[in-house]
Amino acid sequence: MVIGRNPKVTLVRAAVLVVICVLGYHFNALRHIRVEGISMLPTYQDGSAHFVSAVPYWLHEPRRGDVVSIRLAGIHVMYLKRIVGLPGETVEFVGGRVKINGRVLDEPYEELFCNWTLPPEKLGPDEYFVVGDNRAMPPENHTFGKVERGRIVGKIIR
Amino acid sequence: MKNVSSIILLAALVALGVWLWLVLSPRPEKIIRQRLTQLARTASFSASEGNLAKLAAAEDIAAFFATNVEVDINVPGRVQHTLMGRAEIQQAALGARERLSGLKIQLPDINLTVAPDKQSAVADVTVDVSIGGERDSIVQEMKFTFQKTEDGWLITRVETVRTLSAAILNFALQRAPFIVTA
Repeated sequence: MVIGRNPKVTLVRAAVLVVICVLGYHFNALRHIRVEGISMLPTYQDGSAHFVSAVPYWLHEPRRGDVVSIRLAGIHVMYLKRIVGLPGETVEFVGGRVKINGRVLDEPYEELFCNWTLPPEKLGPDEYFVVGDNRAMPPENHTFGKVERGRIVGKIIR
Repeated sequence: MKNVSSIILLAALVALGVWLWLVLSPRPEKIIRQRLTQLARTASFSASEGNLAKLAAAEDIAAFFATNVEVDINVPGRVQHTLMGRAEIQQAALGARERLSGLKIQLPDINLTVAPDKQSAVADVTVDVSIGGERDSIVQEMKFTFQKTEDGWLITRVETVRTLSAAILNFALQRAPFIVTA
């Protein structure tokens, strides 16, 4: 077995690597996820594999357009949604278009036909509005809405 | 050398004592997790289940709950149902087994808070339900309230948690019919 020229240094390296992996897992630095369902079509296909990381949000708060993982009771099964509304904003759907504070949001990723019309909703100081990209689904079959910052685990990075 | 052996022996005895204590008097957290896992297993069934087995399973499911239990399930677009008491739960469990071709319930996350007096607990649970013949599973966050009784830890309340809350979704749902199942 090859363990390097200096076994002590190799041992220290291995220990550091283990600590990094454990901390990375614990703090959601990098998590592997598999998409289930069609609510993020066409951007993310059913069954596709990706990585989610909390690291971007150590540096800044979540931004509009970010695709984020949202925890339920834990992090083994999470929602994958796109942030369209930021804290304090008012979000509404008019003829399939998202309006933020009354202005239409440019959504280049939105390719499927959508005819949702839903009344305005004001977000609290700690709330984001998230929705899937597949708005060809009827709204009653699509999980979306306000989410507290504490439930956003990380951002999809690949 | 003799000292080292004594220390090792003492450590082994302490470890054995701790292990025995944990086995003989399990913590409420462990018991409640086991109860939830057993409930999920008992509520799951396959198409090949016989009538007697269905009846027995419905009774077993009801035994996890307190007699005055309240179950309020509201999964937008899927299920809206309120059940009161063990008898209604037993009926609903039997009805589901009659109607559905199969059901698989998994609890990938259980987040448990036991009250300081250790007499009650609240479990925030991710419930993953696969219905026989349906391609997509239903994932829903739910809250289970437990009470310690003479019959052990029983569920006194079950309610759905709105992970994503949207008043505008409620508006959409008012215009759309619910799919109601037991």
